[in-house]
Amino acid sequence: MSDRASDPLSVTGLGLVTPLGPNAEATWSRLVKGERAIRPVTLFDAAGQRASFAAEVRDVDLPAGPRDVTAAWSRTSAMAMSAAGEAMRMAGLTAGLRSTRRIGLVVGGTTGGMFETERLLARLHAEPGCREVLADMLSHPLTATGDRLDERLGPFCRVRTLSSACSSGANALIVAAGWLLSGEVDAVVAGGSDGLCRLTLTGFNAIAAIDPEPCRPFDRKRRGTTLGEGAGFLVLERESSARARGATPVAELAGWALGSESHHITNPDPDGAVVAALIGRALDRSGLTPADVDYVNAHGTGTIANDRMEAVALARALGGEIGRVPVSSSKGQIGHTLGAAGAIEAAITALVVARRTIVPTGGLDEPDPALELLHVPHVGREVPRVRAALSNAFGFGGMDTVLVFAEPSRERRGGLRPSSAAPRGLNVAEEQTAAGAAVVVTGAAVFGPCGRLGADECADLPERRFDAGAVVDADGFLDAARARRLDRAACLGAVAVEHALNDSKAPRDGVGVVLGSSFGSVDGCAAFMHRIFQKGPRSASPAEFPNLVPSAAVGHVSIYGGLNGPAFGTADLATSGESAVVQAWQLVSGGEAVRVVGGSAEPRGDIAERVLSGLFDGIDAPVRSVAARADVAAAVLLEAEEAARARGGRILARVEQVLEWRADRALSLAALRAPRAARRSEVVQARVTPSGEQLVAETAWRGCPRVACAPALGESDALGAVAVAVAAGRIATGRIDEALVLGVAQGRGYAIVLAAV
Amino acid sequence: MNVGELRSQIKGLLVTELNLKGRDPATIEDDAPLFGAGLGLDSLDALQLAMTIEEKLGVRIPEGDEARAIFKSVRAIADHVAKVRSA
Repeated sequence: MSDRASDPLSVTGLGLVTPLGPNAEATWSRLVKGERAIRPVTLFDAAGQRASFAAEVRDVDLPAGPRDVTAAWSRTSAMAMSAAGEAMRMAGLTAGLRSTRRIGLVVGGTTGGMFETERLLARLHAEPGCREVLADMLSHPLTATGDRLDERLGPFCRVRTLSSACSSGANALIVAAGWLLSGEVDAVVAGGSDGLCRLTLTGFNAIAAIDPEPCRPFDRKRRGTTLGEGAGFLVLERESSARARGATPVAELAGWALGSESHHITNPDPDGAVVAALIGRALDRSGLTPADVDYVNAHGTGTIANDRMEAVALARALGGEIGRVPVSSSKGQIGHTLGAAGAIEAAITALVVARRTIVPTGGLDEPDPALELLHVPHVGREVPRVRAALSNAFGFGGMDTVLVFAEPSRERRGGLRPSSAAPRGLNVAEEQTAAGAAVVVTGAAVFGPCGRLGADECADLPERRFDAGAVVDADGFLDAARARRLDRAACLGAVAVEHALNDSKAPRDGVGVVLGSSFGSVDGCAAFMHRIFQKGPRSASPAEFPNLVPSAAVGHVSIYGGLNGPAFGTADLATSGESAVVQAWQLVSGGEAVRVVGGSAEPRGDIAERVLSGLFDGIDAPVRSVAARADVAAAVLLEAEEAARARGGRILARVEQVLEWRADRALSLAALRAPRAARRSEVVQARVTPSGEQLVAETAWRGCPRVACAPALGESDALGAVAVAVAAGRIATGRIDEALVLGVAQGRGYAIVLAAV
Repeated sequence: MNVGELRSQIKGLLVTELNLKGRDPATIEDDAPLFGAGLGLDSLDALQLAMTIEEKLGVRIPEGDEARAIFKSVRAIADHVAKVRSA
């Protein structure tokens, strides 16, 4: 095997902001002592809430950002700044080093700037349509945290913002691992951050998931979780590279696995089969067995359903070892930090390994006899060794992630293995791909004012013209009973993803899905909060709340389609569609899954329409200011070429090159391959913009015809995914031989080269 | 409003609030189980239904085992609402 097998991924730095302390050391010492930071909420008025305990980050001087509102840091961003800065200092990623090394950033989260946006929504509630407030409404997209970190702690060579609800922080580490294994980056700062806000407290109360008392995971009297807030970031790099520059590995990220339950938007699948399979896969990947595991940091939310399912899954996965391995949940001390939890708890787990000390479960007075786990109640304890430890994170929509941390430099059998690419024990075909595998497009679909189009039909989309304002009705394309919980974005996404998958005739088992969205459900959040302002917290809609999580659409789509592979959402402003397709490609080429659908679904939204039309007037984006916004979704199925050929699938195009960049665009574009001589080559884009044109002019593609999607469909942040589908369609139908799909927006860019096979 | 009208109103709320697209409220039987094999509703629907009944009919549904009995069928919900209102 390659040097990858013998060159593990090391954690060389970690940083935390938690309700127990402003840094990793303070958090750790109080965690071990069993201190709990759960108190009545003070950040906002929690009157009328069913339960109003939370674990807040208090008495901490969070770094302050600029005063200018549009560049100001949300609470989420400020906590991220502190934790990521701490992790980078510990790892020794100095400014000098940052200028010579390729360092990436991955940020997971769910709430973003919701706490700050709620103030605006309260004002909008009082003064509907207030222009001043509307102008600030989109100041805190989910991407903002990554952008602020890039400005202050960067430059980073690439930045990914992702969300998979409460597994976001853990999935950030998996994306980081993929980047390191591809060899395209030297180090990655990855983690998650989530600030507490009214919306989450009210929403989790509405679904009766909050314990009226401070939460008590695994306790027989447990009645729910307690929300927390915080940030956790880790620095990951190859051990050889870390040691070469004198950095000391804290622990090793030895294995991981992610997949979807495809079961229910809020409730875990009680049989725990997917989680058990993921634990098995994560251990396989690390070359370890249950006999090597000395600790489990459980997701352990304290809800009746989660803790029961998790205990069942652990028993299934660890078999006879279950009685030997201590299991604890940090949530009884720091609360459930949602999108940050997977990263905060990963950092805690890495410290457990490094310091040979097991952290406890706070609030566990009477262990539930139905859960056969070896508990660590109240206080932590030192142990002789922690050879390997698991960290679990499960999100709404059944997006589950398991990480394995191990002692650095240990003697291992086998080392890092390529992923088996599908949850074990899930009746998945015996398909495997190696990292670096060739990837092809085998399905493509666009849904919008043009109706529902397959790969061949979207080939001439750019030459046609549709009414952007047309009502796009998903009803006729979806099974009404199965689709009843899907909001607008999820409906649009499901139509596109289903069509791309059906078009490809690929089997569904193990299929992953990544959907990009720039702002998420702004209108949904506004309506949800409006009701709360109007009628009080008890009127919050339990059915609507799960749809407000940024990854709701992808969760619904995976459930609707029975897709049990990796699933999460990405966000990157107007290039959200491109970011999702690029991320899907990385999962397939990295061997994380054989088939992943990449796409985007963006319904027209009242607030976005009003804000963007105001914002983009007079700014260097003439096309955006005049184009009406449309309901648009698009999806492409990316598949390992070997698997596509083995099943005799129709290959629309091969993905020949994928680049993404931030500040170092010149470096990235220098690597861009030139169009081949005597081939019909095109540059396919979401929209033609001056900045895009400037970029194309720097490349050998400057003489190629331009094709744009916005004039055909109207404006949408999903158009990047449309561009990929259109390029694949044009190649598949023989109109062209190759295409450069280029997406650029505000200092970020993506390039995807597709070519005929 | 008599109990029959109340049952019709609850059936209407079931369809609109739980988005049972294409379902004619009149076809929901008074005694059909709402959860599992019956209408196919689940715990998230129960929470939405409790919120809706409190808001639209002014009757709070208790949590826990009591709720389970009340949510047995449309008839059981209507009986509970009528009972609370007449108390």
